[in-house]
Parts: sequence; structure tokens; C-alpha cells
Amino acid sequence: MQIRDYVLRRLMILPLLVVGTSIIVFALTRIGGSPIGIYLSHEMTPAEVTELEERFHLDDPLPVQYFYWVSGVLRGDLGWSGVAAAPVTQVFPDKLGATMELAVAAGIVAVVLGIGLGTFAGARRNRLPDHLARVFSISGASMPVFWFAIVLLIVFWVYLGWFPTGRSDPNVFGRIAHPTGIYTLDAILAADFRAFLDALWHLTLPAITLGYGTTALIARMMRSSLVEELGEDYVDAARAKGLPERLVLRRHARRNALIPTVTVIGLSFGFLLQGTVVVEIIYRWPGLGRWMADAVLRGDQATIMAYVLFTSVLFLAVNLVVDVTYAYLDRRVVLGT
Amino acid sequence: MVDVVVPPVRISVGSRLAVRLRRFGEVAREVLRNPATVVGLFVIVAMIGMALLAPVLTEANTPDPYQMPRDWGALNEPPGTPGFPLGTTSHGGDVLYGVIWGSRTSLRLSLIVVGATVTIGLIIGSLAGFLGGKVDEILMRVVDVFLSIPELIFALAIAAVLGPSFRNIILALAVVFWVKYARLIRGQIIHVKGNDYVDAARVIGDSRFSIYRRDVLPNSITPIIVQATLDMGHIVLVGATLSFIGLSEAGLAEWGVLVSDGQAGISAGRWWASTFPGAMVFLWALAFNLVGDGLRDVLDPRTEKR
Repeated sequence: MQIRDYVLRRLMILPLLVVGTSIIVFALTRIGGSPIGIYLSHEMTPAEVTELEERFHLDDPLPVQYFYWVSGVLRGDLGWSGVAAAPVTQVFPDKLGATMELAVAAGIVAVVLGIGLGTFAGARRNRLPDHLARVFSISGASMPVFWFAIVLLIVFWVYLGWFPTGRSDPNVFGRIAHPTGIYTLDAILAADFRAFLDALWHLTLPAITLGYGTTALIARMMRSSLVEELGEDYVDAARAKGLPERLVLRRHARRNALIPTVTVIGLSFGFLLQGTVVVEIIYRWPGLGRWMADAVLRGDQATIMAYVLFTSVLFLAVNLVVDVTYAYLDRRVVLGT
Repeated sequence: MVDVVVPPVRISVGSRLAVRLRRFGEVAREVLRNPATVVGLFVIVAMIGMALLAPVLTEANTPDPYQMPRDWGALNEPPGTPGFPLGTTSHGGDVLYGVIWGSRTSLRLSLIVVGATVTIGLIIGSLAGFLGGKVDEILMRVVDVFLSIPELIFALAIAAVLGPSFRNIILALAVVFWVKYARLIRGQIIHVKGNDYVDAARVIGDSRFSIYRRDVLPNSITPIIVQATLDMGHIVLVGATLSFIGLSEAGLAEWGVLVSDGQAGISAGRWWASTFPGAMVFLWALAFNLVGDGLRDVLDPRTEKR
């Protein structure tokens, strides 16, 4: 198969998956029966209830209701968020900025540390650093994020007092404008170094908490693919021509080992996104995840639907980009399918 | 012309069993050579022992032993207090009681969810892989749709819609996790179907179901065993996360619920109510990861045999 065909095929399946996801999301909100309860009060007469049902098309068959809902979503109408007491689309951008800042920071931590650690361990296979890295990795895969966050808070916030919770110091927050809603970026735009430090300072613990599991995942993948590459003939050839081991590693083995690691990095995006729910609750980070958790506990269906739909579409898009990148980097994938 | 009569060559049930037992012995010996796996196994045995012996180790709370006992005379006691070696919660719950009965709750959760998802996945995956064609295409698109929602968020949404209770968490996890098995089993079956011995069975005239049962399924099962082992840990991790967010009944003796209850006290220096139950979740997941990895190294020679 040509690479173009592969990309086209993936692009063609994408809308199908998005529609499928939207059906699941819609079905979820109807499992508990009609959502009319949100609008009811005790004083209403049956006639008023019927009128409400008509107004929101709740008396129509489910497929018709689905159609009304989807056309609303496409027009940018995601309903009313009871938790935020505002339309979903109005609250969304603010929360999105906070969550993206956290997820990207954690992603950077994970990619840098993960690749570094994986390379370090892979190049020292079955020696002490490799064993330690394995312990680190398998702990990361087993670590409950909610517990890790609390343990870090107990140590670094309660006992040592080194790091704060929340997203910024209110005094610093007021000093600069916030055009993007991403505080580190806002501080850079305002050329305010103290605000930048404050944003980073608040970001550190949540980003480390969120990034740990992903770091472990990337390190593990990097290590095993590096070990595999180091066993290849071209590595022997590079060594035979007298290239120093450092360069063999950096110029040859590591580059090829990075290819499968790219897939894991893509996969871990979903991992980071869902991790934000717990991390935001514990660190009082005012993002999408905490909003979702509030919505879940208070039965705010509009918010839940919007959040699930958004994360799935984002997840699908990222996976597509990763798979296509991977296909370009390693042509064998395309030939195999 | 002479009719050539081919006598049906079948290995007797007894010798087949012997072969299986010997293979099991070989695998067990090799698995036990890895010290990390042995440590994992030891922790698993301890945890399951604790779960089974919970009514012996502690005095079961009445009427519902899965609810935390409350002692209003002993609020927020630190670890080491007589009668409460791991301290108490802000509701006077004995943290040790929660740790022990939490293992029982977790064992129940993981066994039910893994059992259900493997069964559903086995049925759907086998249908798709063995029948192929349109059935395969349709089932796999459904699987793709399920996989396009991040698992925790999906489970969170389902549990939220169903209402907060531990039973709904079990249900939500089952709905989310079967797809992994369906896809795994389908791929495995398609792979095995291409082997010569399957063609051979077809040539002798075995029925499709008998080929599936005798030749295809037994040779597809090892990656599922590995995945199920890993999921025994992973599901407790995700389940505890949902409980932590608040989707279980309040006061349930479950590790995630306990961590959530203890969270409010940490700023006042009461670290124990969250730390111990959370450490149990970590240990549980770690143990199954260690054993799952060890099994994979032995059963699946394609990975990490260097």
C-alpha cells in the first residue's frame, strides 16, 4: 500500500469514529431516562411539563433527539453547564488553557526524562542503572496518580513547604494581563519574570505527578527498542569503522530507537489527558478535569457530554497524527497493512 | 483398487493431559527463576490471603462488613495508638480495618471485571477472528469506537450516568475493558488460523467448531493470560481512582474511598489516613505487573528474550 493510500484510509475512517463516539456519548445520557428532570420543579403543571418536553424535543424518538443534539453541537451549542452556571462553550476555553498548560508541561517532563532515562538504561543493559530504571518504570505503571499526588503534597507542601497548591499567587496573577489563559505564556508575553517563575513554581508538582506514569512508559519503550537496535549489524559496522561508542549511540542507535518510541508518546497523550482529572482535583487546578469531576458528582450531563466528546476527538486526532508520522518514519508499517 | 483407510489418529485424553501438565511445569519453573516475579507472587498471595481471612483478622463490622466501622471516641488517632496500629480517620474509622477489607473489595472487583471482560472479549473476538468478512469488519469498527474514548474518562462518564455506587463502578469497568480482549483475541486467532496444523485439521475433515476449540483457541490463549494478569492489577487501579473521585458509596471499606476521606486532613498533618490505603493500591498493581511481565517473558518469546 502506498503511504498516501494509508493516510487517506485513516482520514476516511476518522469521521466514522467521531460519529460512533458521539452516538455512545448520546446513548450514555439517555441510559438514566429522559433528562427532563433537570428542568422540572414541583410547581409545574402537567401541561407545562409537556410544553417543556416539546420545546427540547424530548417527546421525539431517540434518533430524532440525537439529530437535534448533533446539529446543536455543530452550531457550537453544547448546552448549559450546571456546575459552572454558564453555557459550556463559554467556560470551555478558560479551563482548556489551564489543562493544556498542565498536560503539555507534564508531557515535556515525560518525553525529556523518559528518553534520557531509557537511553541511559538501554546502553547499560543488565547493569545496575538498568535494574534501577526498571524499578522506576514498573513503579510508574503501578502508581495510583491520586495517591502519588497526595504523598508529594504531604512531603513538599505540608512538611517542607517548598511548593504551593493552586495555579498562581493572587497578587502575582493581578500584575499581568492574561490574553491566552496559559499563565507561563502570559508571563512571557508580559515580559514579567516574577510572574513566569510563579507560574512555573505552581506548575512543578502537578506536572511531575502527572508526568511520572508517562515517563515510565516512554523510558521502558526507549530502553527496549535501544537494546534491540544495539544488536543490529549496522551498529557493529559503525563500531568497526572506529566510531566512538558515544557517537554510535547518539548518531545511529538512538535515532532508530526513537521511531517506536514515537508511538508510545502518542498513546501517552490519552494517558496524560485522563490523568488531569485526578491531578486537578488534588492540586486545585482550575482546568477541564476538575470541572468534569464536579460535573460527574453533581450529574451535570451537558458538561460530561462535552468533555467526553472533546477528549475523544482530540485523542483520535492525536493518534492519527502519530500513526501517520510513524508510517513516514518506518515504511514497514504501511507495507504490513 | 484398494481403499486406503486412514485410521483416526487422536492422542488419548490421558497423554494429552500429561503433555499439558509437563508444559505447565516447565513454564512454572522458568517463571519462578525471575526474582521479581517471585516477589510479585509473594505479595499477591499475601494480599489474597488477607482478603480471604479478613473476617478472621478483624472483627467484621455489622451489619455490613464492607462498611467502615466508626468509633466516635477515637477520631484522627495517629498510627501506633493502642487498638489502632495504623491510626483512625476523621470519622473514627480504623485504617487497618479499611486496608484489610479493602483487599477483599479489590479482589472482588478485579475478579468480576476480569472474568466478565475476558468472557465477552473471547466471544466477540472469536466471532470476528474466526468468521472474518463482514462480521469481522463490523465488530472491529465497534471496537475502534470504544477504543477512541480514553478509558478512565469513559468509565467515569458511565459510572456518573449510572449513579455513584461500587456496583456501577464494576459495570462501568466491564463496559470499557472488554474491547481490549476482543481485539487481542481476534488478532491472535487470525494469526493462529494461518498455521499448517489448522489446514491439516481442515483436510482431515474436522468441523469448524472443533478446529476452533481444539486447535485455534488453545494456541491463542497465552497473550490473554498475560493481559488478564496485568489487568487484575490495572482494574483495581482504575476502580480505586473512580472511588477516589467519589463514585463509590461513602464509608465503603475501599482503598480509593479511604484516600479520598483522608485527603482533607493532610494539611493538618494527618498523613496516615490517605497514605496506607493508597500504598495498598500501589502494591497490588505492582505485584500483578511484576507477575504479568514475568509471564510475558516466558510465554511470549517474541518480546524481551535477550
